[in-house]
Amino acid sequence: MTTVDFDYVRHYVRDQAAIVLEPGKEYLVESRLQTLARKENIASIDELVRQLRASPQNGLHRKVVDAMTTNETSFFRDLHPFETLKKSILPELMARRGQERKLNFWCGAASTGQETFSVLMTIAEHFPELLKWDFKYIATDLCKEVLARAQAGRFSQLEVNRGLPAALLVKHFTRQGTDWEFTESLRQRVDFREMNLVKDWPLLPPLDLVFLRNVLIYFDVDTKKVILGKIRRLLRPGGYLLLGGAETTFGVDDAFERVVLDKTTCYRVKQA
Amino acid sequence: MIDLNQLIEQANELAPLPASTVRLAQLASDPECHLDDVAELIAFDQALSVKLLRAANSAASASVTPVGTVSEAVTRMGTARVLALAVACGARPLLQACLPAYGLNEGALWRHSVAAAVAAETAPSFCDADLPLEGFTTAILHDVGKLVMGRFLSPEILGYIRRAQEVDHLGQLEAESLLLSVHHGELGGLIAQHWQLPPRIVQGIIYHHNPEEGLDAICDFTYLANQVAKRIEAGLDGRKFDLAIEPGVMERLGLTQSKLDNLCPIAAQRYHQVSRRYNAV
Repeated sequence: MTTVDFDYVRHYVRDQAAIVLEPGKEYLVESRLQTLARKENIASIDELVRQLRASPQNGLHRKVVDAMTTNETSFFRDLHPFETLKKSILPELMARRGQERKLNFWCGAASTGQETFSVLMTIAEHFPELLKWDFKYIATDLCKEVLARAQAGRFSQLEVNRGLPAALLVKHFTRQGTDWEFTESLRQRVDFREMNLVKDWPLLPPLDLVFLRNVLIYFDVDTKKVILGKIRRLLRPGGYLLLGGAETTFGVDDAFERVVLDKTTCYRVKQA
Repeated sequence: MIDLNQLIEQANELAPLPASTVRLAQLASDPECHLDDVAELIAFDQALSVKLLRAANSAASASVTPVGTVSEAVTRMGTARVLALAVACGARPLLQACLPAYGLNEGALWRHSVAAAVAAETAPSFCDADLPLEGFTTAILHDVGKLVMGRFLSPEILGYIRRAQEVDHLGQLEAESLLLSVHHGELGGLIAQHWQLPPRIVQGIIYHHNPEEGLDAICDFTYLANQVAKRIEAGLDGRKFDLAIEPGVMERLGLTQSKLDNLCPIAAQRYHQVSRRYNAV
């Protein structure tokens, strides 16, 4: 891949999704575009970039951004946030909102749905009464294709092997050929929406819990500031933000305070 | 880059293990399993019976009284070791394959598997924690995913993996995950499922490089066996291999640095004995 083509792609991906691809990442861009070129029956990466340049904003542009998005996810990823959810966060939020019986959760980079469904299984197993509340779970992602997969709730054996305990697999999934399908009644609790974190946000309700784990690492500081600012305005008093282990609000948006619950670091908006 | 579905299909198309081994695996994972049932099953498999008697009478089994029947051999070795032996016999022809993508010539993967199995046999006397008996089988099979992954790693993909390692300082496993959305441990887990091996063995194979994610002692045990096997092999080639075990694994296994330093030469010595006896090298 030529330097000029690489620069074109990385600038485009940065403009559209704020994903930063430093020089040196040519191997990653090449490997992802190679796959896309094959899928689209395009002879080479050179030809793919030529088509991108020739007709700005055709469907191919969108596919390039999707291809450069990392969709790494697994059920109960890192485990301890889900333990904390069970032991501390959910009991606290349910006590706080017990009068109105209303809670709103949002997952900002839902990918193929594993994190969202892990939360729902935690609720179904330990707080089934919450499912009778006015409970909204919004799951958004930039990539249409992965969102469609999340909505379908179908997972390969390889995917269910990643972190899903056998007992929960048997209880909440049904075998469909070689795949496993997440139970429809829980899947239907999720409002899946397409959303680009670095563009205008659609209307979201006031939020009690936000999952944005392992997302901010891909953005520069200015983009992180904008995103955290928007989340801060949406979080209800006492609401929590969960980030990935390598992420923090510290030095980016100091209106958040760090709260350590068991082994999990969570963030809350500081109260005046 | 790689069609994940194709990869999964290939994993599911590997030749199955012999029916008696599959049945043995099911028996071994049943807490109610009786040794008589195991012995009865093996008695129907002549080739395995011969190998079992030979193993039970070997120096490693350390007994002066020779074993004459399958039943006695099963009693002496225990179900877990018998299963490991059966799996090793069943998988050996596959594990002999040449895998140029991983720099492994014919027989090299098998030798590594044997070294890991010997390390797994040796480790329990050096660890304070109780080690799961299924570890003998996972040690043999931990790299079985390379059989399938190796077929898909074209020179082009290998080039990308190498660059990911150089530019972003990723390990083999991380680079495979980043570029292919799957790593050889996960593929090995799929193969073990296809072979109907017990879930704990599957777990040990999947997480043999990243045991902290596996949340089971079998993952720590398999990781240790793999690392010690690498040290044994490096010693054979006259290479220096800095054996660094994750501190979390050391703690969970109840293994100290001095015990680890003692484990390695003893495992290496046993590997030489086994190699001579079974012509593994």
